[in-house]
Amino acid sequence: MSKLKKIPLMLLGAGGAFFVVTFTIYFFNLDMKLTSKLEPFFLKHYDTMPRKQYV
Amino acid sequence: MDIIKNPRKRDGEQQLGVLYDGGKVRRRREWRGFKDTFFDYTRWLYLVSVLGKFIMNPYNVKGFFRYRWMANYLGVMHGMDKFTIGLRDEALRITHYSFNYVIADVTQSIVNCFRGDRRIRNDEEFSKHCVLTDENAMTAQMMGFKAEEARAILREVPTMFAANIFNQNSVIHYIDVAQQYGIPGDVCPMPESEAGISIDDDFCVLGSCAVQVNTTCDGSMMGNGLIAKRLEREYGIPTFQLTAPLRHREEDVQKYAAEDMKKAIAFIEEHTGAKWDWDTYFQRAKNVNDCTRKRMAQLDINATPYPQFFGAAFSLYNDTNYMGNCGRDPYFVKLDKKLLKLAEKGYREKRMYAREYRHRCIVWGVQPQYIIDMLYWMLQCWGVVPLTDMLSMVNTRMIAEEDTPENREQAYYDMAWLNENMIMRNRTHGGYEVLVDELWEFCEQMNADMVMMWEHMSCKALDGMHGQFEEQARERGIHLVWVCHDLCDPRVYSRQAIRDQFNSYMRTVMREEPLDPTIEVLPDENAW
Repeated sequence: MSKLKKIPLMLLGAGGAFFVVTFTIYFFNLDMKLTSKLEPFFLKHYDTMPRKQYV
Repeated sequence: MDIIKNPRKRDGEQQLGVLYDGGKVRRRREWRGFKDTFFDYTRWLYLVSVLGKFIMNPYNVKGFFRYRWMANYLGVMHGMDKFTIGLRDEALRITHYSFNYVIADVTQSIVNCFRGDRRIRNDEEFSKHCVLTDENAMTAQMMGFKAEEARAILREVPTMFAANIFNQNSVIHYIDVAQQYGIPGDVCPMPESEAGISIDDDFCVLGSCAVQVNTTCDGSMMGNGLIAKRLEREYGIPTFQLTAPLRHREEDVQKYAAEDMKKAIAFIEEHTGAKWDWDTYFQRAKNVNDCTRKRMAQLDINATPYPQFFGAAFSLYNDTNYMGNCGRDPYFVKLDKKLLKLAEKGYREKRMYAREYRHRCIVWGVQPQYIIDMLYWMLQCWGVVPLTDMLSMVNTRMIAEEDTPENREQAYYDMAWLNENMIMRNRTHGGYEVLVDELWEFCEQMNADMVMMWEHMSCKALDGMHGQFEEQARERGIHLVWVCHDLCDPRVYSRQAIRDQFNSYMRTVMREEPLDPTIEVLPDENAW
């Protein structure tokens, strides 16, 4: 098969892989599960920042 | 009312309790059948692209590490899922399109804040054309300024208001800071947390001047005082107080309000160097009128047995469209049209979004419904349809939109009218007619047999009316369900404590059983 003919197949394969990966992340809520694990690190970072509190 | 049964079986998940496992986020996303799950997935991809683009900008990354409130945006998708629970077909699409644009709008606000912020990008040329505008304003005073000359920056929106949609704990730190400095705990947590953000030096600092308003309430004015003091004394940003009369329906206060509006505009011209442009103003006035017509058409559909655009998304969309936008963003005109078209289609096809509709409910009072998915829960758990809410019952008057000498004078009165009738404030201020009497008129117009009264325990504006509501609802045979909460402080009233009040009413007074018993009690105390 010529290289040119393979391009649509490769695009289809890449699109299919993109769908499988992103749909798995979406459906099992993996994006939110990951960001919820990150939150405590950010909060710790903000707690250690110097603040100029003023009323 | 007669129970309306849904003749169609809902595709996908039948019992929604399976999605909750007591964690910060849901166990998984809802299966809505192939067509609607795929649609939900494509909107998720769209939001990933919006957030991905945002985080590619190094200044936004810098802002992320500087500001504590940015961490709440880790939960954007969770917030979106909250407001689509159980939805299918047109209602799912309407909720996504409206709410997704609100998210995109907030994202742009953050980008603008960081661009002008003295601590982040410090683009001075951009900053000198920015006007810090109170989030509790209708922003009508900005309608005649071109964005490149004077741009409204509502910095409290991404900092406090929107952040709280995505994370119920978003302002706890700031409330604690405010209370450490002696502000009492019985103040509304919304202005209290804004005061706390200012004390904690966690607001972006930008702009050539600021405009604050006395809408909505005494708590808001308390917070504004502290914020203005820091803006003026520490950052050298002069602040104008735009004061709307309390009795906003009285004719004799309108001249004062219009004069104050003129002064606010002159103040902005003086500090930004921008020039008021009547062509721009009247074009935006047309947009505001268009938005009002479309909202009234949506309410007409909701008055039928087949409401389509409802819940927190309806309220939040109206909130953004009138206050954050107020005619300035032409995309809202297109979006209003698209949403109405979807709603009309849903109505024609008699779409229902629960197994049965048992009660038609108006949601009234000062609401926490952005923090909790209460309105969608009421529908799915008890078959109670939230037809509309107090925030969505805003301006119905058409403002002058043709450029004539008379209308140029009328325009100040129209802008003052919009400001006086700011969302929520148009009901909580102005006497019992606008808060109590008109509620019963809306019940009649919308064919409602139930009112869910949010009782915000720290809101002084509604406290005195409790007895009148009780007495008059009883006279009219309306089921009045009081649900107490403390807005954005979940330590006082947790989500389940809020739902339990509704559950108790439905079981003990109405003697009904839930449609979906798996969500009557939800383990979401620790959820974002």
